[in-house]
Amino acid sequence: MTRARRRSARPTNRAAALLAAGLTATATATVAAPATGASAQSSSAPTASISMWMEASGTPVDNYWVAQAKAFDKANPGDNISVEFPAASAFNPKVAAALAGNNPPALTFGWGGGRELQYISSGVIAPMGDAGQSDAGNPSWKKDFVPSSLGAVTFKNKIYGIPVGGTQPVFFFYNKKTMARYHLGFPSTTTQLISDVKTLAKHDVTAIALGNLGAWEGLMYLEYFTDRIGGPQVFLNIQSGQKGAWSNPAIIQALTDIQTLVKDNAFEQGYNQIDWPTGFTDALVHSGTAAMQLMGDWDIGNMQGYFPGWVASGAMGIGFFPKVPGGKGNPADLEGNTTDYLELASHISPAETYVAEKFAAWLCSSPAYARFEVSEGLVPVIAGSAKLFASSPLKQYLVPIYKAVQNAPYFQYSWDQALGPTKATPMTSNLQKVFGLTETPRQFAQIMNKYQ
Amino acid sequence: MTTSSVLSGPRQLVASGTTRHTAQRRAFLADLMGISPVMALYGLFIIVPSVFALFLSFTHWNIDGPIRWAGLANWRQLFSDPVSYHSLLVTLELAGLSWVAQTPVAMALGIFVAGTQRYRAVYATLYLLPLLMSTAGLGLMWEDVLFPQYGGLAWLGIHAHLAFLSREWLGSPNLALYTIVVIIAWQFVPFHTLIFQAGRRAIPAVLYDAASVDGANLRQSFWHVTLPQLRYSIVTSSTLVLVGSLTYFDIIYVLTQGGPGDATRVLAMDMYNIGFNQTEFGYASAIATVLGVLGILLALLLVRLSGFSRMDGPQEGSW
Repeated sequence: MTRARRRSARPTNRAAALLAAGLTATATATVAAPATGASAQSSSAPTASISMWMEASGTPVDNYWVAQAKAFDKANPGDNISVEFPAASAFNPKVAAALAGNNPPALTFGWGGGRELQYISSGVIAPMGDAGQSDAGNPSWKKDFVPSSLGAVTFKNKIYGIPVGGTQPVFFFYNKKTMARYHLGFPSTTTQLISDVKTLAKHDVTAIALGNLGAWEGLMYLEYFTDRIGGPQVFLNIQSGQKGAWSNPAIIQALTDIQTLVKDNAFEQGYNQIDWPTGFTDALVHSGTAAMQLMGDWDIGNMQGYFPGWVASGAMGIGFFPKVPGGKGNPADLEGNTTDYLELASHISPAETYVAEKFAAWLCSSPAYARFEVSEGLVPVIAGSAKLFASSPLKQYLVPIYKAVQNAPYFQYSWDQALGPTKATPMTSNLQKVFGLTETPRQFAQIMNKYQ
Repeated sequence: MTTSSVLSGPRQLVASGTTRHTAQRRAFLADLMGISPVMALYGLFIIVPSVFALFLSFTHWNIDGPIRWAGLANWRQLFSDPVSYHSLLVTLELAGLSWVAQTPVAMALGIFVAGTQRYRAVYATLYLLPLLMSTAGLGLMWEDVLFPQYGGLAWLGIHAHLAFLSREWLGSPNLALYTIVVIIAWQFVPFHTLIFQAGRRAIPAVLYDAASVDGANLRQSFWHVTLPQLRYSIVTSSTLVLVGSLTYFDIIYVLTQGGPGDATRVLAMDMYNIGFNQTEFGYASAIATVLGVLGILLALLLVRLSGFSRMDGPQEGSW
């Protein structure tokens, strides 16, 4: 039930705010330009016109890609990059159809994971290397990125995409004032979380804002509870198709814990019909009607757009998913979208491949790129970006997130993206029933085991 | 053709058979030319895609790879898949409930606005408003009206002390489908009202005069004059409601995306998900084919049951 435009979807009305933030972002910070392999322009280097398909975000990021393409064209006479933004609805089938056609876009925007694996097995996506080198799948730029950011595009030890977004771990956003009013700190264990839920409910405060219409919003709870209870292997068994893997006691316990939260009225009334992208749940947290919300890094930008003063004042807190007492998982593990990627098409000429690889490396090597991401409230996955945060107005959020990503023993890629759509659709729609208390944890496991 | 030969009368006798044949052929060709653009468009946009969908239903196709022959695999999956079976039931329930919700209301309103009393034109215009709005816009509007805690209905519930209005109209699996049925009815009743209004206006006043001479009261003239005379309006309207409900998609997509869980996941929604999210176009085409065949069967059944196909005029006899 995921919409084609998923977590990266953001309302467009924050564009102006972001642009302003971008202007105030540091102009002096630099980041070491990563080596880009065969970047030296020789007279024999092939030239080509290629196209790149991006998912429109409706934010200044879109203009950024276009500007970068123009700059590349200028620096590389004979090359031409045209950036296109196919309509966000049905973006994926359009990409799939184009990749299989005779004239595919050389570079396409993607999320790696199950869908990309399908493209690879269909032979429409190629491993990436350095332009003009025979190192497909093992590009020299891989050392320039935080290692966890390449997991979702690494298949059989070959790299099939270059990160172009910020890293997007999931954590709690909370209203410090509301928590303080009831003498609560951010909970460090789930036992504490459940006790906080009860305390807040007594004062008619919704503990956790949840917009679960899209169903991936609720999935983040299952992902975290499972990891904290049973560790990363529980989901890895599911992902590898192990029979009966959904019946793992950690999954049953995680689903039971979710239902405990529901029964304790942790979420606001009507959570299953509220659409997160409307910004309603963000407003609940800001107004103190709700105390916290579990959401991804991408929501920092939204919050900044909606409530700039509140975010800048530090009244918004962030906290990582609490520990489950007695659980096997490491509380430093993260869950989320590792990042977004550019993927390389197979059915293109060697000259087009050359230019595409050169452009991709050039794009991410530019120091301006990491600076731009920081101004967007994103945490770059380019190694050595930490110093960029020093003068960012968002540093109180970005620094702990960057540290958490660097120190995470394990970063679990969002299950719906990791499993691919065929398994993700029944998973999210059945999970919505678990959230609605119309399906038991065991029924959920039984149904999902059929898809293994 | 028969009409023209009767009209031309005796002159037909002198006209040679060949001339008549040529004239007929010319008329036929003229007819053919007249309808050919429509036929071409119908063929291009209805027949060709339908045949292609039927073909695809016997294949596996992810768009990014070649089309592979699947034999009956998709069809076997369709008939053994509890998810699709559930979607079929939801679809049939939606169609049935839509008929129950729309037809009587539209008929009553249609008869009302067909009258000549004052202000009816004003009412008729007001009823039509929902028909003029875009479905996606309607969906967003209803989303706000039904929003839990802060929506229009919840507001009324609090301020007018009507507690029963504060419900999870779209978030509860027991209510969501009924809520959708009411919204669809709200959108389409105006259109069906027009059908019944036209139908009621076409009933000759003399029939009511005759009924009142025979001593019929209002109720009796409704049952014995209005209702039988409206039967083709009923068939037309019912066909549109039932067949239309089979493929109903947009409001559901905007409001619930088929949820909560699968409470409002109709076959069209299922087809969309399987096709456009899961890119399994073979299986999605099998569902599309089922929807198409169901629609045609339902339309044929209604036409057969009503005697519409025999082209009897409603005023020629009783039903």
